[in-house]
Amino acid sequence: MVGSFSVRFGAMASKCEVRLAASSQAHADALAQCAIDEVARIEAAFSRYRPGTIVSRINDAAGRDWVDLDSETEALLGYADTLFEGSEGKFDITSGVLRRAWDFRQGRVPAQAALAPLLELVGWQRVQRAPGRIRLPQAGMELDFGGFGKEYAADRAAAILKAAGARHGYVNLGGDLHVFGPQPDGSAWMIGIQDPRDAGRTIASIPVQAGALATSGDYERFFEQDGKRYCHVLDPASGFPVGYWRSVSVLAPLAIAAGSYATITLLLEERGLDFLRDSGLAFLAVDHQGRVFNEKRSHMGSASGLP
Amino acid sequence: MAATRILLAALALPGLVQAENAPDKSTLSVKYLDYQDSQPNLDRIHVRSPAIDIAVPVAGVWLLRASVVSDLISGASPRYHTAVSGASRFEETRKGVDAAVTRYFPRASVTLAAGRSGEHDYVSRFVSAQASFASDDNNTTWLVGAGVANDRINPVNDAVENEHKRVVDLMAGVTRVLTPADIVQALLTHVRGEGYYSNPYKYIDQRPRHQRQHSLMLRWNHHFGGSGATSRSSYRYYTDSNGVDSHTLLGEYVRPFADGWTVTPSLRLYSQSAARFYFDPVYDTRFGPPFPPGYSFTDGRDRSADQRLSAYGAATVGLKVEKEIGADTTVDVKLEQYKQRGEWRAFGSGSKGLQAFSARSIQVGITTRW
Repeated sequence: MVGSFSVRFGAMASKCEVRLAASSQAHADALAQCAIDEVARIEAAFSRYRPGTIVSRINDAAGRDWVDLDSETEALLGYADTLFEGSEGKFDITSGVLRRAWDFRQGRVPAQAALAPLLELVGWQRVQRAPGRIRLPQAGMELDFGGFGKEYAADRAAAILKAAGARHGYVNLGGDLHVFGPQPDGSAWMIGIQDPRDAGRTIASIPVQAGALATSGDYERFFEQDGKRYCHVLDPASGFPVGYWRSVSVLAPLAIAAGSYATITLLLEERGLDFLRDSGLAFLAVDHQGRVFNEKRSHMGSASGLP
Repeated sequence: MAATRILLAALALPGLVQAENAPDKSTLSVKYLDYQDSQPNLDRIHVRSPAIDIAVPVAGVWLLRASVVSDLISGASPRYHTAVSGASRFEETRKGVDAAVTRYFPRASVTLAAGRSGEHDYVSRFVSAQASFASDDNNTTWLVGAGVANDRINPVNDAVENEHKRVVDLMAGVTRVLTPADIVQALLTHVRGEGYYSNPYKYIDQRPRHQRQHSLMLRWNHHFGGSGATSRSSYRYYTDSNGVDSHTLLGEYVRPFADGWTVTPSLRLYSQSAARFYFDPVYDTRFGPPFPPGYSFTDGRDRSADQRLSAYGAATVGLKVEKEIGADTTVDVKLEQYKQRGEWRAFGSGSKGLQAFSARSIQVGITTRW
């Protein structure tokens, strides 16, 4: 008898879950292990805190040396470049340094004097790239894959489960979801979308047979000062948090794409809606006044295989 | 458009989209083909061909496939060139069965196949093996294959008895995902055969007992994001030891519409040079047709009057209409019209004196998945 089982684990500072069809919990645990290992590999490989990782080595060599890249890192940097180009420079993987000025635990708006030197260190367009290597031109500059690392890990983990023969289930890394197949009876998984102002409630439930759902919002890390909310999504031009959208959820064939569209929408603020509509993807967005915008669409296909 | 570029870039990242996936549903398809070829004032071969194909996945990593086809062939086959007077009426049945098993691995698949087809005077058996391997980023897939066919020939006119033909083919190819909307493929095949290649029912038909064929196929599939349509283009160059060189250009446009309709128009252009031993329909003044000028009964030279070995060009226009009925059933109808002319040959002059040749086919099918 096959049922669906949930395997929970912690990774990337999030609550994570692999859900899949199996004959028992022990069987599910065994099947899920390869996916959990892959998430751990990505977390370890691209961490900017651990010494010796490719990201740490690039950051440590800032202002000095070129660093050789492995093919996976080079592909991700190429993707980051597409995000930068496609977001009018708003999605910038060098903007992580701004968080040195923003302390969301203390909850204080930084002084302009603290932000200004950090803004000098932001600028993907200044990063020097050549086939197989990269160089940060200025000491203190940093790359940060946090903007899509979790979504990338969800996609990789789902691909590994699929390759191992799994046909029913999903990978959920802290709300970034990749559904690799419907429930064992063929019906869609119902995925709830959290109310951005009430963590205990959902505002919608979306049926997903296959594909990925990712949400970016202003409610994950934030503080309020003088009645204004400051969230963790920072505009690389001003160094200040964006404030137009409370939450944007996007449905796409891959979690990394869904997450990137959602984050860019947050960064583009009021112009984000046109960007979302251009994408042709299904989405649900809640603006700063609580107005809901949504579009249901089918997935864009990819080129069909050769006969 | 910036918005679409991001999705395409994501799909191109390594390890996210699986190249090799065992199908997770069984399929059963039943097709019926009706083919008729003709020349001015003569309906030649008429083929009615029902076929059944079934594929069943097992345990997520195996795919078993089997098919059965039965051809009911009737009509008149010219005994040399296109002379109607020489045409002989006949009717017969050809049956073919084949089976294959595929094992899927995370980045590879291996297929073994075997089959048999036969009519009362000709039996053919084959075995083949094929393997594909994908690169780490799944954007490149290499393909290799090999096969052996053994034919046994016993014509009713006793022109020869218990003749055989053995053919070995080797294939190697590479498929590359250029962008999420473009896939290209290059495929090289080499075929080497030994045995009885002649047509026992044609006068003056003697062909070399050793033959070699080489071909190069280039394909390009492009997906149009806006309309959801796909174009499939291919070019094939073929050359063989008989002296036949051919070029085939194929274009198809698969356009989906609302309510499960898909329409696929296609155009195929073909051109070939003549076999070295093909002779034009100009006959010896002493013996008359079908003997070529200067014919000797004893020199043992290779000769053939088969129109298929002449120099010609051809065009096929096709239209396929599919309709999905429910989630798991598809019905399709495909019409094709083929025309062949000596003067349509590209890159050279065509064979002279042959009558125009044309064919039409209609195929209806139903495929269901479960």
